[in-house]
Amino acid sequence: MKSAAVPTVFIIDDDPGMRQAIHDLVESVGLRAESFATGEAFLGAKQIGRPSCLVLDIRLPQMSGLDFQRRLAESGMQIPIIFVTAHGDIPMSVRALKSGAVEFLTKPFRDQDLLDAIQQALERDRIAQVQEAETHNLQQRYRALTAREHEVMTLVVSGMLNKQIASEIGASEATVKIHRGNVMHKMQAASVVDLVRMADKLKLSPRK
Amino acid sequence: MANEHAQKTLAELSRELQESNARLEEAQRVAHVGHWEWDLETDVVVWSDETYRIFGLSPQERPMDLATVQSMVHPEDREPLYRGVDEDLAAGVRPEAEFRIVRPSGEVRTVSSLTSERWNSLPGDAKRDSSGRPYKLFGTIQDITDRKRTEEAFQEISRKLQETNARLEEAQRIANVGHYSWNLIENRVIWSDEVYRIYGLDPRQGTIDLAKVSEMIHPEDRELVFRAAQEALQSGVPADIEHRLVRPNGEVRTIHSVGTVKRDPSGRPYEMFGTAQDITDRKRSEQAFKQSQFYLSEGQRLAHMGSWAFNDSGHYWSDELYKIYGVDPQNGAPTIDQYLALVHPQDRASMAETIRRMQEEHCGFDQIERIVRPDGQLRYIRAVAVPFIEQGVFKGFIGTTMDVTEQELLTQELRREQAYLAEAQSLAHIGSWATNFHTKQIFHISDETFRLHGFDPKDRTPLERFFDTIHPEDAATVTAAIDQAIQTRTDFDIREYRVCHPDGAVRFVRAIGHHNPSGEMGYYVGITMDITERKKAEQEREKLRQLEADLAHINRVNMMGELAAALAHEIRQPIAASITSASACLRWLARDPPDLERARAAAARIEQDGNRAADVISRLRSFYKKGTPPEREMIDIREIVREMTALLRKEAVQHSIRIHSELDEAAPNVLADRVQLQQVFMNLMLNAIEAMKSTGGKLTIGSRPAPEGQIVVSIGDTGVGLPAENSERIFDAFHTTKPQGTGMGLAITRSIVEAHGGRVWATGNQDAGATFHFTLPTKGAADA
Repeated sequence: MKSAAVPTVFIIDDDPGMRQAIHDLVESVGLRAESFATGEAFLGAKQIGRPSCLVLDIRLPQMSGLDFQRRLAESGMQIPIIFVTAHGDIPMSVRALKSGAVEFLTKPFRDQDLLDAIQQALERDRIAQVQEAETHNLQQRYRALTAREHEVMTLVVSGMLNKQIASEIGASEATVKIHRGNVMHKMQAASVVDLVRMADKLKLSPRK
Repeated sequence: MANEHAQKTLAELSRELQESNARLEEAQRVAHVGHWEWDLETDVVVWSDETYRIFGLSPQERPMDLATVQSMVHPEDREPLYRGVDEDLAAGVRPEAEFRIVRPSGEVRTVSSLTSERWNSLPGDAKRDSSGRPYKLFGTIQDITDRKRTEEAFQEISRKLQETNARLEEAQRIANVGHYSWNLIENRVIWSDEVYRIYGLDPRQGTIDLAKVSEMIHPEDRELVFRAAQEALQSGVPADIEHRLVRPNGEVRTIHSVGTVKRDPSGRPYEMFGTAQDITDRKRSEQAFKQSQFYLSEGQRLAHMGSWAFNDSGHYWSDELYKIYGVDPQNGAPTIDQYLALVHPQDRASMAETIRRMQEEHCGFDQIERIVRPDGQLRYIRAVAVPFIEQGVFKGFIGTTMDVTEQELLTQELRREQAYLAEAQSLAHIGSWATNFHTKQIFHISDETFRLHGFDPKDRTPLERFFDTIHPEDAATVTAAIDQAIQTRTDFDIREYRVCHPDGAVRFVRAIGHHNPSGEMGYYVGITMDITERKKAEQEREKLRQLEADLAHINRVNMMGELAAALAHEIRQPIAASITSASACLRWLARDPPDLERARAAAARIEQDGNRAADVISRLRSFYKKGTPPEREMIDIREIVREMTALLRKEAVQHSIRIHSELDEAAPNVLADRVQLQQVFMNLMLNAIEAMKSTGGKLTIGSRPAPEGQIVVSIGDTGVGLPAENSERIFDAFHTTKPQGTGMGLAITRSIVEAHGGRVWATGNQDAGATFHFTLPTKGAADA
């Protein structure tokens, strides 16, 4: 688990000089670097470890960096991206940042600017990793609930009282109380507020 | 006895006397002669019985006296009668008188009276009184009324006969009819005067014998004439022939001769009597009439024209008219209803109205209508009717009807053609005209011509006003061109002038006039066309062309931008890489302990990338040079100048710039790259043209030898000249004084010239403009 904790910086640049220079710079600050000439080559690589980020040249031979960014998002791969370009303009940078890029750097750039961006990107990935783990955990707990408990939880986070829930699901108030206690327990929720936050993370839509 | 005897004698005498008296009376009665005695002394008058009868009285009805007698004499004759008697007696003449009497019944009779003196006395009686005047008068009186009437009637007949004869002669003369009689027994011919004239002879010539007649009959008709006479003699049927005769003067006349044979009681023919009529003229007019009838019907047939008459006695149609309507002449002329049925349904109402007006108001008409023949064929006819009025009385109508289908179709065709032509002219904005500029007479001006000059075709504006529309600045040119053409009897083509419309619009037109040199002076047929749109289009095209040129230039500029951007990327990439590698290198060295291996690797990459950037720059240089090394060859500058002049002439002419070459004829060839040298000339000449674009001027190309085997070429202009400041910078790249200049022209020029071992510089001209000079090595120099 420890090695997995060493952050990795992926570099995609068709210019070999630039690619090697960035690769070398990344390693000089003690980070892992993996570089590719094309986006295809990056996608073809083995499992990408976490935390990680991607330094992406906007002008690639087959596909522009912006298109590649969109393609990554579509395939569900959430990796922070730092764009570098030899001839960037403002609209292009705006577009890149709006699509979730961490930074947009124009070649030649100061080494510290790139390294700062990389640190920022890795931090962002680290947080994302924690959140993903938490969500995963919550999802496991939520899956452990029975169908009736699912139902009761949805009504509880909607702000309904036990009496209201009882009439809604056609059960006695006492039965609702038991279900509610089970939900709180199984979800490891300390309070209703806690449960609502969990529901939010699970993207459950409360009953209106 | 003697007494007895005397008695007897007396008795006998008395009886004899009575008998004698009775005889006398009877004689008088038979002869209508009476006698009278007038005793001049007593005026007692004694009448015989017959005298009483003559006077309309009964014999011895009453005693007579002079006064009674006088009262019975016709008042008008009374006075002359008695005066005459007195005069005659006085003259010793026996009075004879004719006078009228009036019977008591009122009847007027004419009587004749003889007066005698002797009868009134016995012998021995004194005849006269002492004054010598007779005592008694005795006379006879005879009623001559009937005789008188007969006489008068005879005289009348005789006079009439004479008149008739004269008239007959006259009539014969006028009618050219003469008569003849041929005595068959004596074989003698008697001619009336007119026959003589018919035969061309003098009536006073005397009798004509048969041989002479035979001789004058036309030889070919002689036998016919005599055979006809012979037949008439035998059959008794009158001869009736036409034959010719030859007059003494050789003239041939045609004669209609009729002859009847007269026979004596025994039946023997003794005379042939007949008439001869000169029918030459009638014959001719008959022939002429027949001819004209033929011509008329033929004319009607050819002209597709029929004639008709419509009056109380009926309705007449000429043969041709039936043909026009395609109906059978056997059925006769149609009734009005039948006629209207032939008229085209669409024209029927108007034709019915026309006929009604014609009948009610007796007015004629002239109109074109359509008819449909029974066979279904549609024809156009023109019908003309004229009321026929004789001595102020309306008698009916006469008229003509003409088949005008062909003309009508032609007319329609013509109208269509005209419409098409007018449409075409209006679409093409081309007007046609025919006029004599000399006499100012207009023969034809199409509607479009009017419109082209801003007139309404309906106004038929006169020629002068067409000239008034010409733009004042063009009027003199146009007039001069036309005058010149008129004088030299040639065509004219005024390619462009302006006309001003009344509404203020100005149009460009072109006028072409054709003159037939053998025709009337000043007579031209031509067209005027509106070229405004074309001209606008030309201007548009010119603008477009300019725009294209500008665009090409802008493209060139953009391309330079692209190039620069591409270069920037190319160069930036290794520079960025080397900067990054340098950063990494520094970081490897800053480690504790420094990682020298990695730092060396980084430094090696820096070198690599530095070299890479240098490569890009040398690639750029070679890109500019376009093919290395330049292909040097011996080139004749004059040839290059000729090529460039040809290429740029259009551009120069457009801006009123003359290109003038003052190249030294003896100038040696230069060693150069042909394409690059072309580029140099092109750049410098274009710059010169650019400098004179708004002013026009002169572009001069010259050459002179220079030291060290070089040649100096100069390209001068009379344009704006060199900029006052920074004039030494004009050869720098990206330095431009022109809004759309790239700033590369002179830079490239300098680079090329310097590559050839020459140099380039500019000087300001003393009067105007600038001159660019460059040197090039000649062969000698290159060898050296």
